[in-house]
Amino acid sequence: MTGRRWGLLALGLALLGWIIGGEWVSIHAHVPENHFIDALPGLSFLLAGLVALDRRPSSRIGRLMIAYVVVSYLGNWGNLQVPAAPAIGSSIGQQLGGAILAHMALSYPTGRLRTRFERAVIGAIYGVAGLTSLVILLAFDPRAAGCAQCAWEPAPFPSKTAVLTANLVAQRAGFILVPLFLAAAWLRWRRATPAERRELAPLWAVVGVVGLVDLLGAFSSPYPDAQSFAYLIWELQNVLYVSVPIVFLWGLLSTRLARSAVGDLVIELDKPLPPGALRACLARALGDPSLEVLYARHGLDGWVDAGGQPRSAPESVSAQQARTVTTVERDGRPLAALIHDPALDPGLVQAAAAAAGMSIANERLQAEVRAQLEEVRASRQRIVEAGDAERRRVERNIHDGAQQRMATLALSLAMLRDSASRDPAMAASLDQVAAELRHAIAELRELARGIHPAILTEEGLPAAVEALADRSALPVRVLADFDERLPGPIEAIAYFVVAEALANVTKYACASGARVELSRCNGTLRVQVADDGIGGADATRGSGLRGLEDRVSAVRGSFRVENPPGGGTLVLAEIPL
Amino acid sequence: MPEPSRDCAPTAAIRVVLADDSVLFREGLAQVLVGHGFVVAGRAGDADELEAAVRQETPDVVVTDIRMPPTNTNEGLVAAQRIRAEHPSVGVLVLSHYVEARQAVKLLQNTPQRVGYLLKDRVSDVMEFTDAVRRIARGGSVIDPEVVAHLLRRRAEGALADLTGRERDILALMAQGRSNRAIGERLFLSPKTVETHIGAIFTKLGLLPAADDHRRVLAVLTYLKNA
Repeated sequence: MTGRRWGLLALGLALLGWIIGGEWVSIHAHVPENHFIDALPGLSFLLAGLVALDRRPSSRIGRLMIAYVVVSYLGNWGNLQVPAAPAIGSSIGQQLGGAILAHMALSYPTGRLRTRFERAVIGAIYGVAGLTSLVILLAFDPRAAGCAQCAWEPAPFPSKTAVLTANLVAQRAGFILVPLFLAAAWLRWRRATPAERRELAPLWAVVGVVGLVDLLGAFSSPYPDAQSFAYLIWELQNVLYVSVPIVFLWGLLSTRLARSAVGDLVIELDKPLPPGALRACLARALGDPSLEVLYARHGLDGWVDAGGQPRSAPESVSAQQARTVTTVERDGRPLAALIHDPALDPGLVQAAAAAAGMSIANERLQAEVRAQLEEVRASRQRIVEAGDAERRRVERNIHDGAQQRMATLALSLAMLRDSASRDPAMAASLDQVAAELRHAIAELRELARGIHPAILTEEGLPAAVEALADRSALPVRVLADFDERLPGPIEAIAYFVVAEALANVTKYACASGARVELSRCNGTLRVQVADDGIGGADATRGSGLRGLEDRVSAVRGSFRVENPPGGGTLVLAEIPL
Repeated sequence: MPEPSRDCAPTAAIRVVLADDSVLFREGLAQVLVGHGFVVAGRAGDADELEAAVRQETPDVVVTDIRMPPTNTNEGLVAAQRIRAEHPSVGVLVLSHYVEARQAVKLLQNTPQRVGYLLKDRVSDVMEFTDAVRRIARGGSVIDPEVVAHLLRRRAEGALADLTGRERDILALMAQGRSNRAIGERLFLSPKTVETHIGAIFTKLGLLPAADDHRRVLAVLTYLKNA
């Protein structure tokens, strides 16, 4: 046995002596009550308190139970023929017990009050009980209270009026404090998570019944020779008090029952799980639907969910949302973090995490792969977008740089030609140079258009596609259901889909015409190029269509080439905006 | 080298405002124009300066680059449309490093006369260029041959396929803004013959024959674009 257990045993024996001694004192003082029944609640609280201190040392409920035993049996010791004993017995002994019970009910299961309001209500209850006790302690006169044979000195300031007033004030304060206590309890219930509610419900049911019987306490009498109904009520009260610590203790220990759910979890995890299902299994086993599972990225300081999406570190989540984080580790490296209801028993969470260890490791690997896939996809998108930005820059440089210089050069040449008109040989060579220059400029213009058409940058996709249709060797019909600008990279990708598809139609399809449709629907740009040719195009052959597919899928779009039964070819790209 | 049209012989000096953000090009252009009897009334480096110069000078013709600061996209085109709307007597010639039928139609749409749209390097053919400025000053329209060429290069379908080769040549010149007389001189045809051809073209395409010289540029371009 550990030292702690020895201490608990000693405490238990001491308090057993305290209860039995109190009863012995009241027997000798000829108090005519059933001493066995009077002792029962104390024994129950003592036992429950000791078990709670032993099994749930982190909860303060055990300490409150022990305090209740100490305080509520003071009354019996008040029958001792010692100065001040009756005063202490009938003040603290009778006043503080109820306050401790209220404290236990509201602070269950941790024994700690959570909100300022709860602390204020419980503080006020202790305050009123303490003040009343103090007045009684100073002003109690046993002889005035009818204890004729009491032979000891009265309190320092005996005053029957003061005692009666204090009792009356305490009673009146009760009219305010009881509704406040109920309000605090209601708020606690509203804030409680489902797991907490399951624990609170039986407890408060018993507390509610005890409270109701306590209301009848006004008619109770511990003396068997009093009215039989009043005595019955007193017996009932005591028996119910016996049940209170038992229910508290059962609630504290019931997480042990929940551990059988971990066994079910083990069986469930034996089957292959679809991605992301692990969270649901753990949530079910722990009885916490809000449970979240985050996975650690190895080699990177990051966390992801089962889908591989980056998430903020579990510590920051727990700090913001008053949640508890249980980290699952393997070989000293964090594997996953369970973010759960603080009311869950830490041992139970550990047990579930251990049972799911393999599955957690497995799902972490999958999440890691998904995260990497997502990173590769994002980097591919960045590469495609950077390529488009570069094309735009090159086109702009050609127009504003080389083309502008060549136009100026052509102008100078023209002026030179003007002044050389008297020298036919010179004029002829200059004409030849000018013609060459014009060819060069025209070639440069077509080059710039192929890299990135200026009209796409300046007027957007429908205008650029229309220009493409204007230049096509085939009649091309363009239908666009929008005119507004789209993000630059998307415009460029859609444009090159149409350009490549139209080039293919002209080259291979033997078509008499084509039809381009651009439409926006549900946040997606739909690009469709249809022709009436011989069909037979295949996206898997030919680098042109393949390249288009790559570019479209780089921005999460879909691309396909179809050969519909009626003939012709259909190129369809859908790009999310 | 093509002969300048005789109907473009200078009468009074035509006043021109030039806009281009390249000083070198702008000054070269000014030199060419002055050398051919034009008066350069103002010079601008961007659209704001251009519009201020037009308000101050009310020139006969504005020659502007399509791309100018600050965004270097189509400021010149936008300014041209505004000038045409606000100053109906001022003609506008837009120069661009590339030409699109859509932009030509855009320019002609609201004010189908006194507008021009040419590739920038056309200025190296000084006679063609000065001729274009003169035609615009007199109320005509000038569209770059390349705009029309692309539209006509398309494999002909429907009504266009019914045109004879000669009729297609005449259609192209009409779309560039040439007058009947200029078309006749180009193709060595008498004005009478040109008129007969044009009548035939309009009938075949189902266009309104009443369209005058100015409006028929837009009519023909629009027809070709949508063919």
